[in-house]
Amino acid sequence: MSETSESDEVRELFVQDGVLLFSAAASFINFVKSVGTLMITEYSDGTKFIEWKPIDVTVDSDIQDQEWAVVNTVEKRIRTLSGTVPPEHKNRSKYLRISFEDIKSFRISDKSRRLTLNDGKSEPICTYLFQHGNCDHLVGCLKTLVKTVASRRDKHLFIIPDIKDPEHEKIDRSFAELNVCTDSAYAWKLWNNFQERPVVATFEAFAKITDLVYRGPEHREIDADDVKEILNRSITEYESTTTTHSQGDYEVIDVPDLPKRRDFPRGKPLNLEQWLGVQDNEGRIEDSECIKLMIFQGGIVPSLREEVWKYLLDYYPWNCTKIERQKLVSQKNDEYFSMKLQWKTMTKTQEDNFTDYKERKTQIEKDVSRTDRTIDFYAGDNNPNLQILNDILMTYVMYNFDLGYVQGMSDLLSPILHLMQSEVDAFWCFVGFMNKLSSNFDADQVGMKEQLSNLHTILAFIDPDLAAYFDSHDSGNMFFCFRWLLVWFKRELSEEDCMSFWEVLWTGFPCDNFHLLICCAILTEEKRKLMDNNFGFTEILKHINELCGQLNVEKILNDAQGIFYQIKESEQLTDVVRLLLGLPILSNNSFDNHETSPFEESIDASNGSSSSPPKCSVDNVRISPDEVTFEKSLSSNFL
Amino acid sequence: MIHVSFSSSKFTAVAMASRKKVLLKVIILGDSSVGKTSLMNQYVNRKFSNQYKATIGADFLTKEVTVDDRSVTMQIWDTAGQERFQSLGVAFYRGADCCVLVFDVTAPNTFKSLDSWRDEFLVQASPREPENFPFVLLGNKVDLEPRSISSKRAQQWCQSKNNIPYFETSAKEALNVEQAFLAIAKNALAQQNSAVDLYNEFPDQIKLTYAQKPPSSGSSCC
Repeated sequence: MSETSESDEVRELFVQDGVLLFSAAASFINFVKSVGTLMITEYSDGTKFIEWKPIDVTVDSDIQDQEWAVVNTVEKRIRTLSGTVPPEHKNRSKYLRISFEDIKSFRISDKSRRLTLNDGKSEPICTYLFQHGNCDHLVGCLKTLVKTVASRRDKHLFIIPDIKDPEHEKIDRSFAELNVCTDSAYAWKLWNNFQERPVVATFEAFAKITDLVYRGPEHREIDADDVKEILNRSITEYESTTTTHSQGDYEVIDVPDLPKRRDFPRGKPLNLEQWLGVQDNEGRIEDSECIKLMIFQGGIVPSLREEVWKYLLDYYPWNCTKIERQKLVSQKNDEYFSMKLQWKTMTKTQEDNFTDYKERKTQIEKDVSRTDRTIDFYAGDNNPNLQILNDILMTYVMYNFDLGYVQGMSDLLSPILHLMQSEVDAFWCFVGFMNKLSSNFDADQVGMKEQLSNLHTILAFIDPDLAAYFDSHDSGNMFFCFRWLLVWFKRELSEEDCMSFWEVLWTGFPCDNFHLLICCAILTEEKRKLMDNNFGFTEILKHINELCGQLNVEKILNDAQGIFYQIKESEQLTDVVRLLLGLPILSNNSFDNHETSPFEESIDASNGSSSSPPKCSVDNVRISPDEVTFEKSLSSNFL
Repeated sequence: MIHVSFSSSKFTAVAMASRKKVLLKVIILGDSSVGKTSLMNQYVNRKFSNQYKATIGADFLTKEVTVDDRSVTMQIWDTAGQERFQSLGVAFYRGADCCVLVFDVTAPNTFKSLDSWRDEFLVQASPREPENFPFVLLGNKVDLEPRSISSKRAQQWCQSKNNIPYFETSAKEALNVEQAFLAIAKNALAQQNSAVDLYNEFPDQIKLTYAQKPPSSGSSCC
């Protein structure tokens, strides 16, 4: 591991390519969301660093104006444990270099693809995303160089104990007090065991104490509870100073049972350089999750939307080559026009004998003429774009006759057509959007009822007061959120905001049903106004309707993300809420509410305990207990 | 004489002998695009726009009016017209004092739907005396040609439904809108005055139990 090739002053103990700098201090803002190389280095004075250097993106100017510029980003993928020193290593000025001494803890998430370094005080120092493979090798290497301890509360968090830290001494002293262990290495081993195998380790500790009580050198009488007390105190005190939860810039909210809500400022939008950077020579995007995550964090630069939306809306597969895409487009073009021909060639007699079809046609005509007419693209008499809007919706009726056309669909299509400006592209993107939202338009409205009920469930978890307030004010059915949910806030936002908002939601990050957390973010924000004024059913509805045009997309996304982490990190997290958010269900194990990374999997396996639980989707749950509640509230409200 | 009446909505509590403010809840129903939102806005805001969007969910506007020397607040509810949204729209029917049915005089299908709109309302809102519940019918868009539903046909329908008042309106031209809503307010108020309770049950009691019916005539005294 430590064998390294000699360089002037720097030894590179570990190198890994394809690591994206996800977040970092302000001085590195220009490099955030860039891909680079991550290294562990040791300087001649013995100090060790984690260094990251950006890859210089070189664009060949001759081909810049072509549709697809060839961008040379990742020269080749390297992951070495011995230091193959790149030739430019001497110029390390651009490097983001973090001394081992500054790292107090690190957290691994997203199935070991994300690594966050913390200084134990304020914000995280930085976060890396591993686009190729994961951070297991790097962490493995790191663990050979520094002592790490898995956090008891968050098993993805690893603490690097500071040797000079008084807390560290405290633990050593605790063990010394007990006189159980002669050397601190044993104490640390015992403590580590406490993290990983609490039961075994506890018995081991008690066995030691038994030895001590009955056969101990000084025949000192020690109460086992005292021992536990001392051990627990040390561990608790230690952890309270080092967990990520103790970081600054919290927003204080008045729910005692949830962790504090953290701030998640929006990132920069995905730009052309980054977009081209993640494609291979043939135009494939291997790491779609990373792209989605970037879009989730910061959206997409408007000029790039037309292209990226086709992927987000499942028109283009992420892993298709440029040639495959051309083939797909041609095929989808033919398919579209053959479906369009089906209704275009229908005679009047056919229509008259086909009531369902005729009803849909009439409804589309009515709605198209009143969809976004204030936007220039659709304004004015005989605007040809209205005809295209009409034709796409009519063709969708032929594509999915069971669903047909339902009010609200024209709202969903309008921004897509405006952006794409192409009938065929807009149609297939609309199909993708409808696949995500089709249950909103069920004939019996079951999908909407279920969502309103789910919203109530989640709200009752994060803000029981507010949920109870709605219940006691004839609003437990959450109907006042109907418009928000039916067309994903289309009516509340400007077109530009709506586009920025939808693309974030399409990524599927950070959990299922994130749009319900958006609702919760807004409702908790409005809580005081609703409750202080003692608003009833009508006033609540009016107040919510009047938020139209008042919502700040960045703020609600930020708040909703904060709520997500509050829920995820809550110790009282229930399986019902887990299911709704697509978080793993934990059978009878309320202690551990985190996903399992490959690190813990091996530990779990060695202990014979079960591996990661099956991930359940909310689609599998048709009727929740709250559905019953919802039906009840419907009955009582409507009578 | 003190005469107190209750209705099932807490917003419509009325003390009839006093000059207390009255709140009348009015529901506008009818097929999509017959002009429900436009009629409401023309009456309340005296405005017409070609740019109203299809209504999603529900909304309401209020207007202060004087009816027979009484100061009255009308709360006018507008809901989505497409049939499948009705299963949720019923949340707004309860406590209604008057139901306004609207059709488009140029669109025969919107006239044919009137029966189902009326029936649906009576089922969902469950007024105590369905045959006496006040409805008003509006034939809208009389400014448009060609007309497909004649006044006579509409009036015949009204007669068959226990003489529902009928008005021909144009929200665009502000034709007859004021008169129609004044009639709506009068009918709603008359209903509140004559009926002790429009609805079968008290909401507070419903919450306690479904099986037990509250006393049916215990709410009035003279």
